[in-house]
Amino acid sequence: MTDRGRIFGLRTAGVYYALLLLLGILAAIAASRGLPAYLSGQNLGNIAYQASLVGIMGVAMTVMLITGAFDLSVASVAALAAAVLVGLAGRIGFAPAIVAALCTAATVGLVNGAIVQFVGINAFIVTLGTLTAVRGLVLILTDGRSLMVEDPLVLQQMLAFESTRVPLFWPLLAIALLLLGRGVATRGTLAIMAGGIGAALAFLGGRGLSVAAPVVYLALFTAAVGFVLRFTVIGRRLYAVGGNAEAARLSGINVHAYRLGAFVLSSVAAGFAGVLFGCRLGAINPTALQGAELTVIAAAILGGTSLFGGAGSVVKTVVGALLLFTLTNGFNILNLGANYQGLIEGIVVVAAAAIYTVGGQRRRAPLRVDTAPAEATA
Amino acid sequence: MLTLSGIEKVFPNGTAALRGVDLTLSPGRVHGLLGANGAGKSTLIKILAGATAPSAGTIMLGDRPCRFASPRDAKAAGVATIFQHIPLVPTLSAFENIVMDERGWRRGGDRRRIAALVATLGDPFPLDAPVGELPIGARQMVAIAQALASGAHVVVMDEPTASLAGHERIAVYDTVRRLAAEGRAVLFVSHFIDEIVALTDDVTVLRDGRVVLEARTADLTESLIAEAIAGRAVAALERPAQPRRRGRPLLTARDLTSPGRLAPTNLTLHEGEILGLAGMLGSGRSELLHAIFGADRAAGGEVVLDGRPVGRWPDETVAAGIALVPEDRDTQGYAPQLGIAANIALPQTGRLLIDHAAEAHAAAAAIVRLGIKAADSDALPAELSGGNAQKVVIAKWLRPATRVLLLDEPTAGIDIGARTDILRLIRDLADEGMAVILASSEFSELIAVADRILVLRDGHVVATADPAGCDVADLIVMAGGGRPSLENAA
Repeated sequence: MTDRGRIFGLRTAGVYYALLLLLGILAAIAASRGLPAYLSGQNLGNIAYQASLVGIMGVAMTVMLITGAFDLSVASVAALAAAVLVGLAGRIGFAPAIVAALCTAATVGLVNGAIVQFVGINAFIVTLGTLTAVRGLVLILTDGRSLMVEDPLVLQQMLAFESTRVPLFWPLLAIALLLLGRGVATRGTLAIMAGGIGAALAFLGGRGLSVAAPVVYLALFTAAVGFVLRFTVIGRRLYAVGGNAEAARLSGINVHAYRLGAFVLSSVAAGFAGVLFGCRLGAINPTALQGAELTVIAAAILGGTSLFGGAGSVVKTVVGALLLFTLTNGFNILNLGANYQGLIEGIVVVAAAAIYTVGGQRRRAPLRVDTAPAEATA
Repeated sequence: MLTLSGIEKVFPNGTAALRGVDLTLSPGRVHGLLGANGAGKSTLIKILAGATAPSAGTIMLGDRPCRFASPRDAKAAGVATIFQHIPLVPTLSAFENIVMDERGWRRGGDRRRIAALVATLGDPFPLDAPVGELPIGARQMVAIAQALASGAHVVVMDEPTASLAGHERIAVYDTVRRLAAEGRAVLFVSHFIDEIVALTDDVTVLRDGRVVLEARTADLTESLIAEAIAGRAVAALERPAQPRRRGRPLLTARDLTSPGRLAPTNLTLHEGEILGLAGMLGSGRSELLHAIFGADRAAGGEVVLDGRPVGRWPDETVAAGIALVPEDRDTQGYAPQLGIAANIALPQTGRLLIDHAAEAHAAAAAIVRLGIKAADSDALPAELSGGNAQKVVIAKWLRPATRVLLLDEPTAGIDIGARTDILRLIRDLADEGMAVILASSEFSELIAVADRILVLRDGHVVATADPAGCDVADLIVMAGGGRPSLENAA
């Protein structure tokens, strides 16, 4: 397979094509029905805003999956963090409450990771247990009722943290131009395209383009984790741990530490998503975010993350989340019959997994010439 | 009863595993089959089991020719094979495992018949216990019962004693004798010459896909068999004429032990020394290397490098300068999703950002130095041939920090060219002052490169050999023969 095929093949870039295709179809439907333009800066900003919480959890989930583990408890942990925040913010102040919420989440991650690593129970089972147990803890903390922040000053701080609009035109344009410049200098086709799309988005949104704060948090978090995975030794070791734990261990890598770190990261990211969720409403309902963990995992799978570890990209996971929320958003705005929504989403996830699996099989089966089969190890 | 004549097997890639093998099994006799790694034993067993078809030659069962298209065919014809790695379902009971291949609807099976069969085996085990809870010797008995349940006349056993303890072996020997006494023909494959001499009536030795010795056991001695196994093999590398000088003691291991697999072992390794570990499969050579490297959590003992004790986790031993090239490169050697450059840089510590240019440069240097045949430094090791993938695993440790290199079967399953490259590299590394421990079942390689050889058997160091004064046949006898305890057992 050529380099071009590797970068632009269906298996590597499929999720980008899918998102562009979907946006195109929805825009065409909107135009044909005489609805307001679908591809407006405001609507795209909305999609990103709706996808931000799942995106943040998805980025950490991707790291988790790369190390070969699994975390089902993220939505419950997010709800717990939100409950801690809303419960404490009125008493100890907003910033200390955030710290308390994140520490609570980190503790759950540490417990998950310690049980998986040191007792040796499968991560799926452990986090299935904590999914239920932590949700139970939320019910105990809230006594089954909705909690609310009463103090108007704290409420204002929370809203400011979550709902501030961040002007995006100039920053987006600057990043796009930077990417374009770098792409031209290094002849990187990918960077040129990313820059082009960024610039197009900026002009599509116009001078007044702005997004809610969670979108910026998501972008920063994705960039940071993506940087660590791509450019640091830590990132490479995460891939090695998931790709072949035994080889990693025999190369002197502390496999336990990396796996444990992934659990803590996953829970802290979920805790942060919970904090944003709590701030959005200034209140928390004990059943909040129920089932969101499945959306998070679906986003990672759409992004091509392997459930067997060793492969995955956080940017693609975020695109996967955007794809899922574009579907939801499109069904709502265009009034396409919300009853079909679940069916279509499910088919999209399975189809994506099928493409990755079939594409993966074709790249395997290398020719081995000088290895005598079987009896060599007799 | 069973006659093979002119059996040949050529694999699609052109490797000839068998080049015209004749073998006759007679009822009531135990026939021993021996051969070094790659001599063709496994291929022959697979042909008998119906797992693979011969390229040429005929199989006669009684006086009619037959072809085994599948393992079921072979079993139906009365040829039962017991493989070395016992394929049993650990969660099912012994009984269910024995009647596994029965057809029909009822799950029950003929319990009385199986119970009678098991009673004849001599080493009773509870029929209803899950196989996973049985000791390994009893599992071997379950496998034998499974083979006999279908009424086999010919029983093929592939190294049935390789993973067994002493008293369990004796039970297997008793069973083998009983099978023969009942009129069955037994083909007994083993690495251990003393077993073969004590147990069998006839012996066939394979080398390079040909029969090089076929005789009655009574007419043979252990050393005659060992010479036939070794032959005058084309050594990958000649031993240099004058002895190499060795430096001061570098690594000392005290009381290294792993429960059930390695008896307490002491050793001292010098700078620039190549220490060979000779032993058959399961002799404890890998266990000793893993114990030194800290990769075996159950292992006890102490390793001192240059006067300082080394921690007992792999990340600590790597930091101290000890490196391990594991036995199975595919499952232990490299991360399949990472390219050559990234795999080579895996043990690197002390920096956060990846220096892609430096790593690509280092990988390119390694590709040149080791003669790795790869498209570029980003190629995936899994897409390389076995020899080249092995060179990538070795290249990972060629850095200044590495002072002790542990190699576990580094040349298994790779071609002669890559083999010579690797052995020459080991010698060069030792000349530069690195201390090397080389475990191998290719004894000719140990004799060619090692300065001193420890012979292991059953988890014990049973002898120390000077490679200048011994040959492959001597090592084979030390590693697989002449053990007094077996005379008592026989």
